Amino acid sequence: MKTYKTRSTVLFDIIVNLFMIFTIISCLVPFIYIFALSLSSPEAIINNEVFFLPKGLNFEAYKSIFTYPNFFNAYKNTLIYTILGTLISLFLIVLFAYPLSKTYLKGNKVFMKIVVFSMFFTGGLIPNYLLISYLHLTNTRWAMLIPFAINPFNLILMINFFKSISNEIEEAALIDGLNYFGILWKIILPLSQAGLATVGLYTAVFFWNDWFNGLIYLKSSQFPVMLFLRNIVNGTSMVGDAAGAVDKATIGISIKGAVIIVTTLPIIAIYPFLQKYFVKGVMIGSVKG
Amino acid sequence: MKKLLFSFLAISLSLTSIIASGSKEVESSKESDGPIKVSMYYSDNATLPFKSDWLSINSAAEDSNLDIEWEIIPIADYSTKVSLALNTGTNAPDVILYQTTKGENANLALNGALVPISDYSDWTPNFNKMVEKFNMSEEVDQLQLKDGKRYYMPSLTDVPFYDGGLILREDLLDEYGLDAPKTFDDLYNVLKVFKENNPDSYPLTILAGPRVLYRMTMPSFGISVGKNSSSGTNTLSWDYTNKNYFEGAISEGYKEYITYFHKLYEEGLLDPEMAEPIDGDRWSQKLATGKSMASYAYYDQIGGLEAASNIEGYKLQMYPSLEGPAGAHHQPKSKTGSGIMFPIKTAQRDDFEQIVRAVDNMFFSEENSKAFCLGEEGVTYTTNSDGSITFTEKIVNAKEGIYKYLQLEYGCGSDVTQMVWVNQREMTKYDENYSAINKVVEDMGDVIQYIPPTPNFDDMQSEEAGMLQTPLSDTFERWNDAFLTGAKDINADWDEYVSTMKKLGIEKFCDLYNENL
Repeated sequence: MKTYKTRSTVLFDIIVNLFMIFTIISCLVPFIYIFALSLSSPEAIINNEVFFLPKGLNFEAYKSIFTYPNFFNAYKNTLIYTILGTLISLFLIVLFAYPLSKTYLKGNKVFMKIVVFSMFFTGGLIPNYLLISYLHLTNTRWAMLIPFAINPFNLILMINFFKSISNEIEEAALIDGLNYFGILWKIILPLSQAGLATVGLYTAVFFWNDWFNGLIYLKSSQFPVMLFLRNIVNGTSMVGDAAGAVDKATIGISIKGAVIIVTTLPIIAIYPFLQKYFVKGVMIGSVKG
Repeated sequence: MKKLLFSFLAISLSLTSIIASGSKEVESSKESDGPIKVSMYYSDNATLPFKSDWLSINSAAEDSNLDIEWEIIPIADYSTKVSLALNTGTNAPDVILYQTTKGENANLALNGALVPISDYSDWTPNFNKMVEKFNMSEEVDQLQLKDGKRYYMPSLTDVPFYDGGLILREDLLDEYGLDAPKTFDDLYNVLKVFKENNPDSYPLTILAGPRVLYRMTMPSFGISVGKNSSSGTNTLSWDYTNKNYFEGAISEGYKEYITYFHKLYEEGLLDPEMAEPIDGDRWSQKLATGKSMASYAYYDQIGGLEAASNIEGYKLQMYPSLEGPAGAHHQPKSKTGSGIMFPIKTAQRDDFEQIVRAVDNMFFSEENSKAFCLGEEGVTYTTNSDGSITFTEKIVNAKEGIYKYLQLEYGCGSDVTQMVWVNQREMTKYDENYSAINKVVEDMGDVIQYIPPTPNFDDMQSEEAGMLQTPLSDTFERWNDAFLTGAKDINADWDEYVSTMKKLGIEKFCDLYNENL
C-alpha cells in the first residue's frame, strides 16, 4: 500500500511525535534526576549543583543502604511475595474467570453479583485483621498471598477477555475430543497471553508495591522492601506536631534516591519483556467463514 | 505448555519450602530456668536503624535475664501497628516501647487493653527509685488517667535539654559588626542588616514547617496555641502564673506575636516558602548557599552544614531563647516522655511478675540506664579518678561525632530504649559549644517550662471537645496565615476575627478544659 503524504498528515505526524517526546521526557526526567542524586556527593547536593549528571560521583549511598540491617532480607521477601503471589493469583483468577465467562451456566449471575459487591463494600481494617488472625494467617507469609489473590477488578478483566474468544474454537476442540480442562489449558490459555500478561503485570505490581498488608499482618523479619523504602523516604516526615524529636531526624537525599532506584528498577524492568504480549493480535485468522 | 506447567510447579514448590523454613520458629514452651522469653515492639527510625547486636540492649537484657524477640517496626507506621495490636488483642507483643497514653491509647487503657502498671508499683522498684531521685513524683502522677491509674512507665529526664532554637550565621554577625541578638527586636535588626547586604535573600527560614518556628518562639510571647506538643489544645494556651488555660488564639499576646512576624514577612525577612513544609534537604540548600542566614532548628542539624558549605568562613551558632513580652522561653518540655506499656494479655502469663521486674531492671536500674547512655565501662569509656569519664579514642575521633557514633554502633541514646536521661551525663557526648549553650540556658532560669497538664475527659466530654476544637483550629490557621501574609489587616480585622472565634465557642472550649483539670 502506498502512503500519500499531504501537508496535514505531515503536520499530524509532527504533533504526534512532539507529544511523544514531551511525554517521554516528563517520565524520564524525574527518574534521571533521582538517579543523578543517588550518585552525587552530599556537598554537591546541598550546594544545589546536581542536575542530570552526578556530581562528585560516589557510591556511598548505595553502600550505606546495602549495609542497612535487613535490607537484603526484605528484598528477598518482596521477590517471594511478587513471584509466588502472581502465580497463585493467576491460577485462581483463571479458574474463577473461565466458568464465569460462560453466561449460560446456572448461578453465573449470582456469583457475578457477589464479585461486584466485594468491589464496593469491604469489612474494613479491624474486621479484616480479625478474620485473618482467626484463620491463623497472621505472622505467616501466607497472609500476604492468600487474602489478596483474587482482585475483582482483574477477575472481571479476565472474564471479559475469555468472553472475547470465539465459541467456535471451543466447539471445534470439543468435537475433536478435548474435555473442558483440556480446552482451558490447551486452547484458551495459549490464546489469552495478552490477558494473562496484563493481569499478571497488575498483580505483580500490586504485590511489589504492597507495604500496608505486610505491616499489619507480618513479623518484622517478613516485612517487604517497600516498608523499608517508606521508612527511609517518608519515615522522618510523617509524624506531625506532636513529635519534636522527629523533626530533628533527616536522611540524606542521596540515600533516599538510591533506595528509590534500587526498589523500583526491577519492577520497571519487567515492562519491556511483557510488552510483546500486549501488541500481538493472537486471534487473527483463528476463525474463518 | 507442559514445560510451563512444570516450571510453575517447580517454582511454587521451591518458594513454598522457603516460606516453610522461614515460619518454623516454634514458640517454645515456658522454661522456668532459662531467661524469660518476651516479645517487644521497637519503633525504628531510619536515621538510626536497629541492630540486634547492639551492646546496650544486649548487656541490659542479659543482666535482667530476658530473652527478647524484637519486633522492629518503622516509626511512620508504629502507631498503626500498636493500635491494631491493642484494639484486637490478638498478636499483641508482651511489651510495647515508646508509647504514651495520650489520644487513642487513653480510651484503650480505660477499656482494659493495657495493664495499669501503677497498681504493680511493688514490682517496679528501680523506676520508683529514679522518680524519687529526680523528684518527679508530681509529673509522673499527672500521667494518671481519669480512673486514677497510670498505664505506662514514662522515660524520665532530670533537666530538659535546650536542643534547638535560633541558629544564626556567626561569621556574618562578625562581618557586619553586630552583637548576638538578645530580644526579638534585636533579631529584627540583625535580619534587617542581613537583608540590606543580600537583597535577594530571605534571611530567616524554617526547617520542617511553621510549627517549628511557632513552638520555639510563641512561649516568649506567653502563648502556645497547641504548638508546644501538648496535643489537642490548639487554640488555647496555658497561663503559667494562674495555672489555667486561656483563649490564647484571641489574646493580646497572640496579637503582638503575629504583628511582629507580619512585620518580618512584609519586609522580606521571613522565608515565604515556609508555609509549605521545607524538608531537610532544601533547608540545608538554602542555608549552605547563603540564600538564608538564620533559622529556627535543632542543634544536631548544623554540623553537617558547616562542613558542606562552599562559603568561606561559614559558621553557624545556636543562641539562647530571645526575650519577648513574656520573658525568654523555649518550647515547653515535659520531663516525662514516651515509655513502656504492657498489653493486658501479658498479665495472663504465669511469669508476669518476673517480666515486669525484669523490664524494670533492664530500663530503669542505675547500672543499665547508664549503659543505655554511655555504653559499657572498659568498652566505650573509662572512668577517671575525679569521676569524669573519657570515651575511647575510636569514639572520640569518629567523624559522625561521639553522640551519633554511640547511637549507631552501640545503640546508646536511642529515644526508644533509653528511659533515664541525666542532663549532665548526656552533655559528655556533645561538643563543648553545645554544653556551654545548655549551661547558659540552664542559668537563665525557667527558659524551658513544663508542658501544660492534659485534662481528664470522659468519652462524652472528649467528643464535645473534639467537635469544638476542629472548626476552631481550622479557622485559626486560616486567619493566622492571612494575618501573617497581610491578606487581613491585624488592626482593622481583629474584631471580626475575635467575634468569629467566639461564635465558634472558644470560650466554652476553654471552660471545658479548665473544668476538667
